[in-house]
Amino acid sequence: MTDANVVGVGMTAFGVHGSTLPDLFAEAALPALDDAGATADDVDAFYLGNAMGGQIEGESHLAPTLASHIGLAGVPCQRYEDACATSSNAFKNAVRAVEAGQHDVVLVGGVERCSPETGKETDAMTRIFASAAHGAYERPTGLTFPGVFALLTKRHMHEYGTTPEQLAAVAVKNHRHGSLNPRAHFGSETTVDEVLSGPVVADPFRLHDCCPFSDGAAAAVVASADAAETLSGDPVRVAGVGHATDIVPIADKAHPSATQAARDAAGQAYEAAGVGPDDVDVVELHDCFTGAEVLATEALGLVEDGEGGPAAAAGRTSLGGEIPVNPSGGLKAKGHPIGATGVAQVVELTEQLRGDADSRQVEAADVGLAHNLGGDAATTIVSVLESVPRRDSDQRGEVAR
Amino acid sequence: MSESLDAYRSDGRLTTNGWRAALEDGVLLGQACADCEHVTAAPKAACARCGSRDLSTVQLPEEGTVYSVSRIEVAPAGFDAPYHVGLVTLGDARLTARLSDAAEIGDSVSFQNAVTTPEGPAPRFG
Ligand SMILES: [Zn+2]
Repeated sequence: MTDANVVGVGMTAFGVHGSTLPDLFAEAALPALDDAGATADDVDAFYLGNAMGGQIEGESHLAPTLASHIGLAGVPCQRYEDACATSSNAFKNAVRAVEAGQHDVVLVGGVERCSPETGKETDAMTRIFASAAHGAYERPTGLTFPGVFALLTKRHMHEYGTTPEQLAAVAVKNHRHGSLNPRAHFGSETTVDEVLSGPVVADPFRLHDCCPFSDGAAAAVVASADAAETLSGDPVRVAGVGHATDIVPIADKAHPSATQAARDAAGQAYEAAGVGPDDVDVVELHDCFTGAEVLATEALGLVEDGEGGPAAAAGRTSLGGEIPVNPSGGLKAKGHPIGATGVAQVVELTEQLRGDADSRQVEAADVGLAHNLGGDAATTIVSVLESVPRRDSDQRGEVAR
Repeated sequence: MSESLDAYRSDGRLTTNGWRAALEDGVLLGQACADCEHVTAAPKAACARCGSRDLSTVQLPEEGTVYSVSRIEVAPAGFDAPYHVGLVTLGDARLTARLSDAAEIGDSVSFQNAVTTPEGPAPRFG
């Protein structure tokens, strides 16, 4: 089995885009290929994440359409759908295919448009997002996506005493990080008072506890160790990927607020990488809502159970803190174009581990972790990436190991 | 279980449509697993905890306690906010329900009826 490496990355700014899905995806995919130093001829397969193009834009058979648009016609194409974990699932399968020797160089990416630019306003998009909830046992109650995470977070507040102020601290932190990221949907900072005075979406969440409806695309080139040596892009090693699911619907989960799938996926990823939470230097995790970040920091073992809220409020998870979480701004500030989110986390970690993240760079970042969940957290994919020493002409043989 | 529940079963199994029909008749049905004893308010073709197909149809308790709750103020198309959605513990099972009023975790609630929505019937507690 060979190691898989990320050798090139690209993404659009997240926000509001008027372009079509193919044109939007090209804005991420072509820069990713260029960053890898790969041409279309080098690419053996295409793995796509797109969750809701059928519902939002009436698009299906999207993977070959996008491949043709960016010069990859003819390669095997596959599309993944796993709600918000969509493109992490594509990434996992791309990595597995490379590790197994089925493909040497794979383009993986995600694209989605969710903003009102699609013609879908908040009530229509809220209904489309709710399609990830159970059709018989959840949706008829009027449960929304913010509502799903509100139920988990309210329970966590009951069990551990997590406060609205601590939740707001997550939003403040991620907005501050996002203000350092030129690709973020929200470039402005916010305050605890501003978060706590916003309109309620689904209590305990107010507007600024929630990620926005965003458009965007992200792409990465995954290559085997041998292929990485022939390409000019600086590699980052994929050290481990874990993927776990839990019972749907929420009510049937043994302990909903524990987000067991995240614990299981993290355990797999840590074991494969031979690292533990204490070894992780930088984290991109799925903060679709402030409460989701609190649950995730605990499930990943970055903090003790019950300490997610206090840790955020104390700055432990800020840039400059002991374990920086979401230096990109996270879904909360960077934005959340559903099918692009997982690969966008890989883009951010790759830049962090290369030392290319400018003013949001985490110092001495050698081990990065991405956590991407789907649906009511029943799907979670956790990836551990590791830096590879910068190659120069003398070290060329060393770097791809 | 009792023969009166047979009408909601298909080939001896409680289907989602049977669960819906019972709900609309004011009857809350679930399944109990003979192998792992998991009781669910969300009937399936096999037990979600252990995979067993040895499931019996059970009538769920109509008195429960609120496990978690949220007041939804931004609703999907077809729903009028605000309203309350909760997870309700009913004996050994947990159910997602519409709550008729604001509630706190731990409050006692009882089954009222089925509320009709664009997505189908939902159990209402209060
Ligand atoms: Zn069972």
